[in-house]
Amino acid sequence: MSPKRSTAAADIGEAAARKTAVALARRVGFYAVTCLISVFFALPLLWLVTAPFDASPAYAIEFPEPTLRNFETILSNPYALPSLLNSLILAVGTALFVVTGAALAAYALSRVRIPGRDALLYVLLLLSSVVTGTAAMVPLFLMVSEVGGAIHPVLGVDSHFSVTLVMTGGLLPAAIFMLKDFVDSIPPSYEESARVFGASPFRVLKDVVVPLITPGLATIAVWSIVNVWGNFLVPFILLRDADKQPAAVLIRTLYTEAGQPNLALLATFSLLYSLPVVAMYLFVSKKYGFRFHGGIKS
Amino acid sequence: MTRIRLTGLTKVFDGGVTALDRLDLTVEPGEFFALLGPSGCGKTTLLRTMAGLEQATSGTIRFAERDVTRVAPGDRDVAMVFQDYALFPHMTVVDNISYPLKVKGRAKPERTARAEEVGRQLGLEALTARRPSALSGGQQQRVALARAVACRPALFLFDEPLSNLDARLRLEARGFLKRLQRELGVTTVFVTHDQAEALALADRIAVMESGRVRQLGTPREVFARPADTFVANFIGSTPMNLVPAEVEGDRLRVAGGVFAAPQGVVAGSAKVTAGIRPEYLRLHDAEPTDAPDAPTGTVSILENLGATTLVTVDCGGESLSAVVPEDAEPAPGSRVWLTPQPGRLLVYDNDSGELLPRRDPAG
Repeated sequence: MSPKRSTAAADIGEAAARKTAVALARRVGFYAVTCLISVFFALPLLWLVTAPFDASPAYAIEFPEPTLRNFETILSNPYALPSLLNSLILAVGTALFVVTGAALAAYALSRVRIPGRDALLYVLLLLSSVVTGTAAMVPLFLMVSEVGGAIHPVLGVDSHFSVTLVMTGGLLPAAIFMLKDFVDSIPPSYEESARVFGASPFRVLKDVVVPLITPGLATIAVWSIVNVWGNFLVPFILLRDADKQPAAVLIRTLYTEAGQPNLALLATFSLLYSLPVVAMYLFVSKKYGFRFHGGIKS
Repeated sequence: MTRIRLTGLTKVFDGGVTALDRLDLTVEPGEFFALLGPSGCGKTTLLRTMAGLEQATSGTIRFAERDVTRVAPGDRDVAMVFQDYALFPHMTVVDNISYPLKVKGRAKPERTARAEEVGRQLGLEALTARRPSALSGGQQQRVALARAVACRPALFLFDEPLSNLDARLRLEARGFLKRLQRELGVTTVFVTHDQAEALALADRIAVMESGRVRQLGTPREVFARPADTFVANFIGSTPMNLVPAEVEGDRLRVAGGVFAAPQGVVAGSAKVTAGIRPEYLRLHDAEPTDAPDAPTGTVSILENLGATTLVTVDCGGESLSAVVPEDAEPAPGSRVWLTPQPGRLLVYDNDSGELLPRRDPAG
C-alpha cells in the first residue's frame, strides 16, 4: 500500500468517526428533550397518585406521610360513591344511545345514495358542537324544563334520562361521522352476498356489518363514555338534586370550611374518579385491540 | 333444473348510462353459460340483474317460467359467487358455508352437517375451523363455491370466478369448476372477460358489447365463425387477421394476392374485410400449385408460443400472422406464401362489420 493511499484511508476513518459522534450527540439531545417534555406531563399525574396518600398534601410533589385517612374521609361523604354510580349510569346510557344510533345512521348514510349526503354530515357535525356548547345552555335548560318537563318528568330537569339524551345529541353527529368511515371501508359484496342468500337488511347489519365494525363501535363507545364522564356543564345545569349529580359535579363541592379547595379530598376523589376510565381503556384495548382511529381510515 | 328466459331486458343507470339494451336471451336447463365481453359491456350488470342486486329498468326475467323481475334477491333461489368471494372474515369456513342455511332458519346440527358434507365434497375438510384470512386464494375460492353449493339453489351465478387466482391455479380451478358443474347439473351463468376461460368452460357463450349480445353460440361456433369483426377481434388468444379485401367474382383480392372467396359471397359487396385466424392460415415456402396468386411476403417476426410459433408476414402492405408447428418454423426474412385452410376464410361487410353471407337475416 502506498503512503498516499493510507492517508486517504485515515481520512475516511476520521470522517466516519466524526459522523458517529454527531449521530451520538443527536441521540443524546433527542432523549434529553423527550425526557424534559415527559417530566412536564408526568408531574401532575405523579401528584395525582401520591397526594391521596399524603396526610397534608400541598401544591408540590413530596414523599407522602403515608396514610389512608383521606380515603376514609371521602368514603364517609354521603354523595361521593353515589356520584360515581351516577356518572356510570349517564356514561353507559349515553354510550348505548350513541352506539346504536350511530350504527344505524352510519350504515344507512354509507349505503344509501341521497343527494347532499356529505353536506348533511358536515352540517350535523358543525351543529353538534353547538348542542352541548356553553352558548346553548340557556335555551337547552329552558327546552328541557319547559317542553320536556311538560311532557313527562323523565324528560324534564333532574332526570338522568334527559341528561343522557342531551349528551347523545351532542355526540351523535361526530360518532356517525367516525363510524361512516368504518362502514365505508367494508366492501359492499359482503352485504350483497348475504342479501342473495336471503338476509334482510337488519340481518345483514347484525350478522355482517356490526361484527366487521366492532373496533369502530368500541372506539365510539369509549369516546362517548369518556366525554360524558368528564362533562361538567350539562349535568351541572340539568341536575339540581345532589343525589343525582355525577362525580364531575361533585368535585366542585370538595372545599374546606375556610372556602379553600381541600387538596387531600380533591386528590383522593380525583384518583377514584379517574380509575374507572383507565380500567375501561385497558379492558377495551385488550379485548378489541383498537387504536384511536379518529375519522381516518387505517 | 331451471331455464332462464330474459326478454327485452333493459337497465339504465341513474346517470343515464344504458348498461343493458333490450336484451333477449335464453339459458337452457343445466347449461354452463358464459357472458363474455370487455369491461363495461354490461355483463356484470346482467348477472347482478339476474341476482336481483340491480333492478331492471324494463323487460322481464323468468326462472323456470316464474317471473322474478321484481322479486327480492333472497327469494330467487339463486346463489352467487362474487369476484372477491365475499367470505365473511369474522366467520370460520364452516360458518361461512352454513350461513345461507342459517338465514333460512335451519337448525344448527343440520347446518353443520350439510356444511361439512359439502366441504368434504370440495376438499375442504382440513380447513373447516379456519378463518378466510388463513386460506390461500384457491382455498378461498373453493369455500365460496361450497357456500353456493350448500344452499342447493336452482341457479348459480358466478362473477369472474377465476380472475383472482394466479395463472397456474386458474387452470386447475377451471377443471374443478367444470367438473363440479357437470356433477351438480345446476344451470350456471358466469361472467368473464377472459375469452380462453369462456371457451374452455362454457356450453354456450354470449359475447356482449355495449349492453347487447353480439353473438350467441357454442365455443366452437364463436371461435370458428365470429358473427362480426368485434367478436372476431375479441375471441382467440392470437388475434384474427382482419385485412381489407375486394370481391372479384368468386375470388377475393387480399394483401396483394388472391384467395378463393367463400361460397355465397357475391360481388355486390365489393369492398369487404377478410378474416382468417392465424391457426387456420398455412405457410408454404414455394408458390403452391393448387393456389396460384396466393398472397406472398417476407417473414418479419417469429413469436414462440411453446409447441407452435406465431409468424408475422409482411405482404402487400399488410401484416398477416400464421401459427405454425415448431418444426415448420420459417427463417426470418425468407419468402413465404399463404393459403387458408378450406372453409376457414371469413368475409365481413365493411359497413356493418357483419359476417357475409348473412345466414339468418332476422337475427
